Amino acid sequence: MGADIDYARRHLRFGWWSLFVFATLGLTLELLHGFKVRVYLDVSNETRRLMWTLAHAHGTLLALVHVIAGLTMRSGAIVKRPALPLISTCLIGASVLLPGGFFLGGIAFYSGDPGLGVILVPAGAVLLLFAIYRLARAT
Amino acid sequence: MRAGPLIVAGLAGVAALCLGFGIVGEPVVAERHVVGRPIQVAGDGYASSDACQACHPSQFASWRRSYHRTMTQVATPESIATSFDDVRVDDVPGTSMRLQQRGRELWAEFDDPDGPRRIFRQVVMTTGSHNQQIYWYATGQSRVLGQLPAIWLTADARWIPRRAAVMHPPGQAPSSETGAWNGVCVSCHSTNGRPAFNTPFGSQAPLTQIADTTAAQFGVGCESCHGPGDTHARANRSPARRYRLHLTGGADSTIVQPARLNPRRGSQVCGQCHAFWEFPDPQAERRANTQGLPYRPGDELTATRFIVQPTTNMGSPTMKAFLEEDPGFIRDIFWSDGMVRATGREYNGLIESPCFKNARDEARTLECSSCHTMHKTSDDTRSLAAWADDQLAPRAAGDNANDACLQCHAANVGSGLSRTLPSNVSAHTKHGPDSSGSSCYNCHMPYTTYGLLKTIRSHQISNPSVQATLATGRPNACNLCHLDKTLAWTADLLNKWYGTPPPDLGPAGSDERSVAAALLWLLRGDAGQRAIIAQSMGWAPAQHASRAGWLAPYLALFLDDPYDAVRYIAARSLRSLPEFGGFAYDYVAPAAARAAMRVRAMQIWRDTRRDADRGGRPELLMNADGTFMADAVNRLVRERNNRRVVYRE
Repeated sequence: MGADIDYARRHLRFGWWSLFVFATLGLTLELLHGFKVRVYLDVSNETRRLMWTLAHAHGTLLALVHVIAGLTMRSGAIVKRPALPLISTCLIGASVLLPGGFFLGGIAFYSGDPGLGVILVPAGAVLLLFAIYRLARAT
Repeated sequence: MRAGPLIVAGLAGVAALCLGFGIVGEPVVAERHVVGRPIQVAGDGYASSDACQACHPSQFASWRRSYHRTMTQVATPESIATSFDDVRVDDVPGTSMRLQQRGRELWAEFDDPDGPRRIFRQVVMTTGSHNQQIYWYATGQSRVLGQLPAIWLTADARWIPRRAAVMHPPGQAPSSETGAWNGVCVSCHSTNGRPAFNTPFGSQAPLTQIADTTAAQFGVGCESCHGPGDTHARANRSPARRYRLHLTGGADSTIVQPARLNPRRGSQVCGQCHAFWEFPDPQAERRANTQGLPYRPGDELTATRFIVQPTTNMGSPTMKAFLEEDPGFIRDIFWSDGMVRATGREYNGLIESPCFKNARDEARTLECSSCHTMHKTSDDTRSLAAWADDQLAPRAAGDNANDACLQCHAANVGSGLSRTLPSNVSAHTKHGPDSSGSSCYNCHMPYTTYGLLKTIRSHQISNPSVQATLATGRPNACNLCHLDKTLAWTADLLNKWYGTPPPDLGPAGSDERSVAAALLWLLRGDAGQRAIIAQSMGWAPAQHASRAGWLAPYLALFLDDPYDAVRYIAARSLRSLPEFGGFAYDYVAPAAARAAMRVRAMQIWRDTRRDADRGGRPELLMNADGTFMADAVNRLVRERNNRRVVYRE
């Protein structure tokens, strides 16, 4: 079944839509800055500001990784195609968990410690590292 | 080409760049290698406020903006409030002081306060920044500091001689402050200060002593109120521990949280510095001279300190010993009924307040945090700078300040007159609901405490009382606002409104019955009373309640007061009047110049007074043509209390 999936197209679509989502988040954060919204800018909300900035940065960069991964797959550089289903799943999982964990960690937090949602981040980081490693080996 | 060498070369390049950025900055001398001044060193379980930032960013930020932090700083071009770049300061006794900045070092040439010579010393530390900034130089004798003969007055952005910064008797040269930072200031203007004198401080000339003075941190740091934090910081490196505490809401046993202490212990955390206290015995003082103070937040303060409280410990052997040594020990700090009158001793006022000493319920006990907050709260819309001014909680600041009192004095829990407060404040205050007379503070915490060239509110909650005024000489809240009214007027209204028994004001025609109380304090009061009234004359609510037109000539009279502090306050109040907005006056100018400025002020008043200010007001000692009743004014001035007033500021 996995062989029937166009992974290159999947990652290109995921990447561009993901980029759209996280660029929108970036614009939203800029608006929060522009209008000096206290729930984001107050010194007491420094942890939220950091978490949401990290969510935006990681989401945007991972979106670009998806685009690059899609282009790499389309170029035929992937020589071990059976590895693709796992790589693809891990990469998409990381792209949800990493920025999602940061974002959730900034919604409710404990002074200098992010909220519990941040526990998604290390899980996402592991998936990302694993996906990159497998992708490197498959190339 | 193999990738390995390329990767290694790349990493080496990055390392080289990092190293490069690290060494281009100015060389920093490790604190432990600094000589000539006290140093900041960890130890005794203290970790310094820097260790708190990562977990408590909001609290750290508000502390950083507070004047607690800047109580003591290493002198740098950034920490000083003014310029040292080739500056000459004339307002010092003797020859002018010259200031220089050499790179990042600050230097001063001045007359040695400890001997008849000219010296050139490096300025190494500062104290204060809010009202004044004091500069300390390295004496060259171990870590003993000396104080520059001039002080920077922040509000006026000018240098003043040291004697003019405090309430100080005229003609009495201030003593040298050499060694004072190491021996005295260190205890409250730094965190875990250790004077480390080799012999008892004060037992010999400071420049013959050796002091290896250290502190965990200069300024009042996080650990001043929360106790040593090293164990706490180490324990909470574990995220599991942190999140367990977050989720359970439990207290962290590794640190003191003053908000979790009972009101008495919690207030003692502030009282460790904001109190008038002494060492219980010479041995305790000697231990403090070497090792620092033993009190830690959460401890019982009275276990290691003698808190001076004239109403309860006047007859104690400790107090008797102090009074024997210094008869002014109580008089210069307290009114005769035991209410504290010097600023910075707010804890003494708190513990004498009925809301504290008569409280039976912890939830309804007045404590420092009833009105103040050491960290700006998230619901506080003020800027950090505005909050830092008095560190008031939102409920105790601005238009809603009565909320601080209504925490207890609300309809459902208050008693007597206070039950009416939330629904009908005027029924209690007899003033318009939005007027300054309906502010709890103005009637129950009047400005009767003095320090740092201004008056502040009494922190002993009290009711306005003419009886107390007569017994102590302390101006009452009513006459501090109604400056044009007599004591008889006040006594009559207090009797009519609140049933307060009328005091004996002497025979008909006595000064207390016929002359405005403010003028009695101003003309015949001691320097402390004069300062209080001079400040009230510049207070907008008092100017509004008393009609300000008659104030100028009386304030002008005090432009030549013998006390620097009284002159300064009188001039500041005078400038608050519309006709005197730009009035040029220098309170430390020579006497002849000051007299000329006083004449000039009187002339401005004569030229600008309105017809409404004429007409004769005998209680203000003014004739129908607007001139003074000279005989009465001169008589009251002759009766002036000329005792030498020294405040322990």
